[in-house]
Amino acid sequence: MTTELLRATGLEAGYGRVQVLWGAGLAVGDGETVVLLGPNGAGKTTLLKVLMGLLPAWRGEVRFAERDVTPLRTDHRVRAGIAYMSEIGCFPGMTVDENIRIGGQFVPSARLKARMSELYALFPAIAERRDTLAGSLSGGQRKMVGIAKALASQPRLLIMDEPSAGLSPRLVKEVIQVLDQLGSDGLSLLIAEQNVNFLNLADRVYTLDGGRIGFEGSVAAMHDDDALRRAYFGLK
Amino acid sequence: MLAYALLAGVIFGLYFSLVGMGLNLVFGVMRIVNLAHGDVLMLGAFAAFWLFNLLGLPPLAAAPIVFVVAVAIGWPLYFLFVPRLLRARDPEMLSIIFFFGLSQVVVALATIAFGTNERSIPGRVLGSGPVHILGQSYPAAWVVSGAVSAAAVVLVTLYLYRTRLGTTTRAVMVHREEALATGIDVHRVSAIAFGVGLGLAAVAGVFAPFMMGSVRPAMGADINITSFTVIVIGSLGNPLGTVLGGIVYGIALMVMQSYFSSWANLLPYLLLIGILLIRPTGLLGRTLRHA
Repeated sequence: MTTELLRATGLEAGYGRVQVLWGAGLAVGDGETVVLLGPNGAGKTTLLKVLMGLLPAWRGEVRFAERDVTPLRTDHRVRAGIAYMSEIGCFPGMTVDENIRIGGQFVPSARLKARMSELYALFPAIAERRDTLAGSLSGGQRKMVGIAKALASQPRLLIMDEPSAGLSPRLVKEVIQVLDQLGSDGLSLLIAEQNVNFLNLADRVYTLDGGRIGFEGSVAAMHDDDALRRAYFGLK
Repeated sequence: MLAYALLAGVIFGLYFSLVGMGLNLVFGVMRIVNLAHGDVLMLGAFAAFWLFNLLGLPPLAAAPIVFVVAVAIGWPLYFLFVPRLLRARDPEMLSIIFFFGLSQVVVALATIAFGTNERSIPGRVLGSGPVHILGQSYPAAWVVSGAVSAAAVVLVTLYLYRTRLGTTTRAVMVHREEALATGIDVHRVSAIAFGVGLGLAAVAGVFAPFMMGSVRPAMGADINITSFTVIVIGSLGNPLGTVLGGIVYGIALMVMQSYFSSWANLLPYLLLIGILLIRPTGLLGRTLRHA
């Protein structure tokens, strides 16, 4: 792993009295793409929410760029350089342009204008529909809006919750291509997914099940593990 | 007579838009029902009354002062109460109960302080003589109150659609969870919206003596019914829908008062029931998000 950008250790969290995470931890290096793989209900969203400060950690620590961000609110974590794309990804009742502006809320006005031009160049399909309500776009375009919104803050790390959710296989492929390009440009990515196609992007993989990290390593190492191969790739 | 009623309806409709705007802004951003909204309006009315009678300050000068004071009170009030309500399992229901209690306290204290007598400010302080519009004559106080209400609506529109704060405020209205996930300081945005909501109610109160004839400590309950009717007609949670609701309500009220005056007091209830049965999302038909 390259220089460490994010490290979470011993995270325990949940909702009310129901504990979901049991000592989960992971790390993302600078410029690295990490995929967090797990089935529905494994605790992926909960883990990401704790990383973003949307849910308090009962125990454990989150460090970003060598700084303890565990007590920080979400807006402070975003200012520090972490962006989060939830499964919803964007504000459906607002235009594409407004969505991206909100994503860049902490960027000075003059800089934001230039940033938006860069993002529209990266996503020409949504550039043509910048005054359209995000909710009226296709599923794939909405994902692009979500990614553009997250990138507007010029993050060092982009955390994504199931970017394939609700997309057809063709659109999933498009999203993977975009993320591949972002990764090649040096952006650090942490992608929570249950779609194994995203492993093509991964420098490293974590598996999460029952709120615990099971496996940590490369995709090749995952293929070498019989149990994981059966569980995630359906191979014998 | 119909032309007079229709134009008067538009003037009163603009005023009713202002009356309901703050309630709808607070509901839209926080999904809480401020049943003390009418009492804030009443306090604004009494502030205008005392500022005029003690300091000779005219309502047009009192309005910005009252607005600033209400916003300044709303800010800490938000942090004192609202986050606790929002953490509840059913924040909408809890907010109804909480603000009902707060409303009773405010009315009781206002009654002790001001007595039960009805108070008013002479209409001439907003201009003497009638104002002629499209061949119809209206009291200057009505026209000025309607114009101030229209200006307030324009300012709220500019705040929501032309400022960064307004864009983030609308984002919270659209999806609070997504707003949090995007890094919006939702409590700061909500506290400002809460303060502005109270401020708008208080400014509406400044002009209540002219549009409602007089003010008294217990007037808040009637104002709440009017406000709910206006915002339900327009669209709950959509502040600009309040303008449509206000004008529909204003015209309906004026037509009723002109042709069936003894039935006019029933109008808010009939409209409220009718719109909830026929089109519960309001005329603008926005689908509600749940808290």
